[in-house]
Amino acid sequence: MTETHDSAPTHGTQVLPRALFRCGRIGRALGFSLLAVLALSDCRPQKDDSGGGFPRAETFYQAGRQWGEPSSFNPLLSNPDWPVGAMNLLYETLLMYNSLTGKMEPLLAESYQALDDSVEVTINPAARWNDGKPVTAWDVTYTFELGQKYKSLNIAPIWQYLSSVKAYDESGKEAPYQANGGASYPRRVVFALNKEKKNPLVVLDALQSQRIIPRHVIEPKFAELGGSLDEFNKLKFDKDAVSSGPYKLLSYSSEKIACIRDDNYWGNAALYGGKKAAVKYMVHPIYKSNDAFSIGLQQGRLDASSTFVPRIWLKHKKGVRSWLDHEPFFLSSSIPMLLVNHKHHPADDVHMRRAMAFAINYKDIRELAVSGYSEPLKPGLILPFGLEQKFYNEEDSKKYGTWFDPELAKAELKAGGFTPVFNKDGDLVETHDKNGQKVPTMYIKSPTGWSDWESIVRIAVKSMRAVGIDARERFVDASLFWNALFEGDFDMIMNTPSSDPSPSKPWSRFEAIMTTQDFAPLGEKMYKNMGRFNDPKAPGYIPRIDELMALIPTLKDEAALLAAYRELNMIFMQQQPTLPLVYRPDAFYEFSEKHWSNMATAENPYLPPLVPGDRLGTKMLWSIKPVPQAN
Amino acid sequence: MLKNYPALKHILGRAGWYFVTFLVAVTINFFLPRLGDANPVNAMMAKASAGLDSASAKEKEEQYLKEFGLVQVDDQGKVEHDAQGRPVRTSLASQFFKYVGMSLRGDLGGSILQHPKRVSEIIKTALPWTLTLQLPTIIFGWFIGNILGALAAYKRGAFDKLMYPLALLASAIPAFCFGILLKYVLSIRLEWFPAAGGYDDGMMQELSRAFVASASYYYILPFFSVFLIVVGGQAIGMRSMCIYELGTDYVKYAKLLGVKENKILYYMFRNAMLPQLTGLALALGTMVGGALITEIIFSYPGLGMAILTAIEGNDYPLITGCTLLITICVLAANFSVDILVGFLDPRIRAAQQTGK
Repeated sequence: MTETHDSAPTHGTQVLPRALFRCGRIGRALGFSLLAVLALSDCRPQKDDSGGGFPRAETFYQAGRQWGEPSSFNPLLSNPDWPVGAMNLLYETLLMYNSLTGKMEPLLAESYQALDDSVEVTINPAARWNDGKPVTAWDVTYTFELGQKYKSLNIAPIWQYLSSVKAYDESGKEAPYQANGGASYPRRVVFALNKEKKNPLVVLDALQSQRIIPRHVIEPKFAELGGSLDEFNKLKFDKDAVSSGPYKLLSYSSEKIACIRDDNYWGNAALYGGKKAAVKYMVHPIYKSNDAFSIGLQQGRLDASSTFVPRIWLKHKKGVRSWLDHEPFFLSSSIPMLLVNHKHHPADDVHMRRAMAFAINYKDIRELAVSGYSEPLKPGLILPFGLEQKFYNEEDSKKYGTWFDPELAKAELKAGGFTPVFNKDGDLVETHDKNGQKVPTMYIKSPTGWSDWESIVRIAVKSMRAVGIDARERFVDASLFWNALFEGDFDMIMNTPSSDPSPSKPWSRFEAIMTTQDFAPLGEKMYKNMGRFNDPKAPGYIPRIDELMALIPTLKDEAALLAAYRELNMIFMQQQPTLPLVYRPDAFYEFSEKHWSNMATAENPYLPPLVPGDRLGTKMLWSIKPVPQAN
Repeated sequence: MLKNYPALKHILGRAGWYFVTFLVAVTINFFLPRLGDANPVNAMMAKASAGLDSASAKEKEEQYLKEFGLVQVDDQGKVEHDAQGRPVRTSLASQFFKYVGMSLRGDLGGSILQHPKRVSEIIKTALPWTLTLQLPTIIFGWFIGNILGALAAYKRGAFDKLMYPLALLASAIPAFCFGILLKYVLSIRLEWFPAAGGYDDGMMQELSRAFVASASYYYILPFFSVFLIVVGGQAIGMRSMCIYELGTDYVKYAKLLGVKENKILYYMFRNAMLPQLTGLALALGTMVGGALITEIIFSYPGLGMAILTAIEGNDYPLITGCTLLITICVLAANFSVDILVGFLDPRIRAAQQTGK
C-alpha cells in the first residue's frame, strides 16, 4: 500500500486512525456488507409464505428416525433411509401388528390364517401400486423368494422356517407367474412351514415387518443388471419409485427428507372410507444433536419425535407430551441388559451371576439413568405388564428371582466361595475364589458417548463393588464395541436383545439370549446368545431350554403355553444367564399438539404409541387433525 | 538458468518441497485411519444383522467387505477364503495403490457408512455450507479484530481498558460454551432466532428469495458464535504486536531522526501485520475442515459433521477424501503465504535473493 498524504497530520493521535482508515477501506466495505446481510436477515421469513416451503397446516414434522445424511431409498438394503425402513409410508407390509391388543391388522393383506402346516394370506383386491397395477400374490412370492436366492437380504433367514411360498388363484390352483397377467391375478399366498423346524411365530413376524416390493418393476431391473445384488444395491430409488403406500418421496437433502401424499392411494377407499390422510407433507428434519429434538418439540417446530428426551415432565408446560402424562411416561417393550460371558471366569459361575443380579441397584438405574421412564424391574425375562403379563408369575419371581438386596448378594458370593477383600477405607481391592486365588476383574463394555448406557453401567459397577464383586466400566469406541459384542470379546457388555414389539414376543427375547443354534466359539461371530450360554458341547448343558424354545412357537393351547413360558422363565431366573437392568420402549414416542391434535395416548389408546407413519402408527395420519392457528 | 530470476527459483524450490510434503501427507492420511483394529463393516453389521442367522450374516458381511474392496476377489467376482474359511483381506499396500490410482482419476471412492453415496457427492453438498459459515467469519473477524487491536494499542486509555478484557474474554470462552450460551438465551429463552438447522424445516434447498431470507436468518447465530471469538483472538494478537513494535529500536531511531509520525506508524503497522497474515492464511487453509462444534450445536450443515461421523464409523474413503481436501487447502494457503510474505517482507526477500 503506497502512502499519499493529502495533509500533514498535526499530532500523532490522528495518524493511526487515518492509516487505518485507508487500510480499513476494504474492512469498511466488508462491514457494510455484513450489515446488509444482517438487514436482509432481519426480515424474518413468514411461516406460511407462498414463496416456497410447506404450508404448516398440512405438514407433519417428525424426527429421530434418520440420523445421517440420506443416501438410498432402495427397499432391498438392510438399512434404507427414512421412510423406507420401519415405515409404511412408501412400501407396505401385508399386516400390521397392534402391540396393545396383540392382533394383526390388515394392510396389503385383507386377512390371514395360521394353520397347522402353513400360514395363508389373501391380498386386498383393491391394493394397487402407484402406477395403477394391482398388488398380486406374485409380488409377495417374489419378495420372499428373493431371500431364498440372495442370502444377505434381511428376508433370507425366514427360509430356515419355510419350505415354500406359493401363489394360488380363486379356484385353489397354484398360479405360476405371468408378467402382464391381465385382469385376473392370484390373491392367495400360502407360506408352507418347514416341517423340521416348525415356527409360525417368526413367519407372523415377517408378515408384519417385510415390505412387499413390485415384481413388475424389480424383476426386470435385476434382469438388466445380470442378477447382481451388488449392482442392484447401488440403485437409489429416489425418483418415481413404484410403491403401494400412501406417500411418495418428494425430495431430500442432508437436512431433511420430505414426502408428499399420494391422493390416489388405494387404501383411501378400501381402508379409510374414502378419506384422504390429513397430512399432505411428511417431513423428517435431520438433527445432529439430541437437544435439537427437545427444543423442536417445545417450540412447535416438530410434531413428533422418537428420541430420548430427558426429564420430559419439565417440558409439559411447553406442550411436549408422551404416551402417559406421569411416570413411566412411555410404554416399554424391551429390556436393556448386561450380557455375561459364560466362557470367562468368574461369570461362568451361577453364584457370581446371581450375586451380581442381587447387587445392582435397579431403582437408581430407573430414576437416575433413564429419567424414570420404566416400570419397576421384576425378575425374569417376561415383561410384567401389557400383553406379556399373562405369562408372568409373581410367585415364581419371589421363589427363584433376583432383586436389589446387597445381603442376598453377599450370601450368593459366600455360597460360591468368593471372598471380597476390602481396604481400610472400605473400598474393594479384589475378590478371591474358594482356592484363595484372585479372580480377574470383570470389565463391562459399553460404547463411548452413549450417555444413558454409560450412567447405567456406572451405577451397576458401583453397586457391584459395594458388595464385593470386582467389576469395572470399560467404555469403548462404537466401532470396536460391535465387534466385541459378536465375537464374545467381553466379560460383560450392554445390549438390548430383540427390542421391537412383534407377535413372537416374549419367545424371540428368550431366543435372542438363550438359543444354542449356530453356537460358535469365542472369536467367531454369533448374532444371538453372544454370551455363549448353554454350550451344547460343554458339561452342564441344559437340553430342556432348547426343547422349550422349539416347543413354544408350535403351542396353540393357552394353558400349555403358560406352563412352557413359566418353566422357561424359571430356568432363566435360576441360571441368570444375563442381567436385565431396566425396561425401555423400542422407540420413544413424544409429540406436541401445537399443530396436530388427537394423537394416540394412554387415555385415548386408539393406536399403540408409534409416531405417525411407523408401522401401525400410519393409521394415525387419518385420525389426527390440524389445530387452527391464531395468527 | 534460473540464477537471474531468484524469485522464480525461490518459488519453484518451495513448490518442490510442498509437493513432497503433500505426498507424505497423503500417505499418512491413507494409513493412519486404517491402522486401528476397527472394521467399518462391523458397525454396519450391528444394524444389518438383526434377525439374521449365522450363514446369512456371514454372507452379508462378505458382500459388504467385497463392496468396499476390503477382501480379495477371484476372477469370477467371488470372495477368496483362507484355509479356515475366513475371507482373505486385501493388503493395505494394494488398497493404497488402488486409492492413488483412483484419486489421480479424480475418483475419491464410495462412502462406506453412506453407501451407495460417492465421497465427492457428500463433499459437494456440505462444502458450500462450510465455506459460507467459515469464510466470512474468518475474513470479517480478522479485519475487525486487527483494527480493534491496533486501535487499542495505539489509543491506550479507556478504549484499551474496555476493549482488552472484552477481547480476552471473547477469545478465552470455549467455542462450544459460547455457542450454547447464545442458543440458550437468544433462541430457547427469547425465541428470537432458530435453534437448529441451516434453513426453515418447511423448505427445501432451492434458489428463491424465501430460501435465501430463511438461510440468512438461520445464519446469524452460528455466525456470531464463531465471529466474536475470532475477533477477540485477532485483537489480542494485534494489540500486543503493535505494543511491541511501538517499543522497538527502529521506531525509537526513526523518532530521533525526526521521521514523520504517520510514516513510522505505517511501518510499524506493516511489521505488526506479518504474523497476523500468516495466521489468516492458516485459518483459511484449515477452514474446510468445518466448524464442527458450531455445526453440532446449531445442527448446521457442513463438512465438520461429515468428518466426525466418518471417523467414528471408520468410513475410510470419506475420511481420506476429507483429509485430502484439507491437506490441499492447508498446503495451498501456506504456499501462498510463503510467496506473499517474500514480497511483503523485505528481510525475507533479502534472504531469498542471497540464496539462503
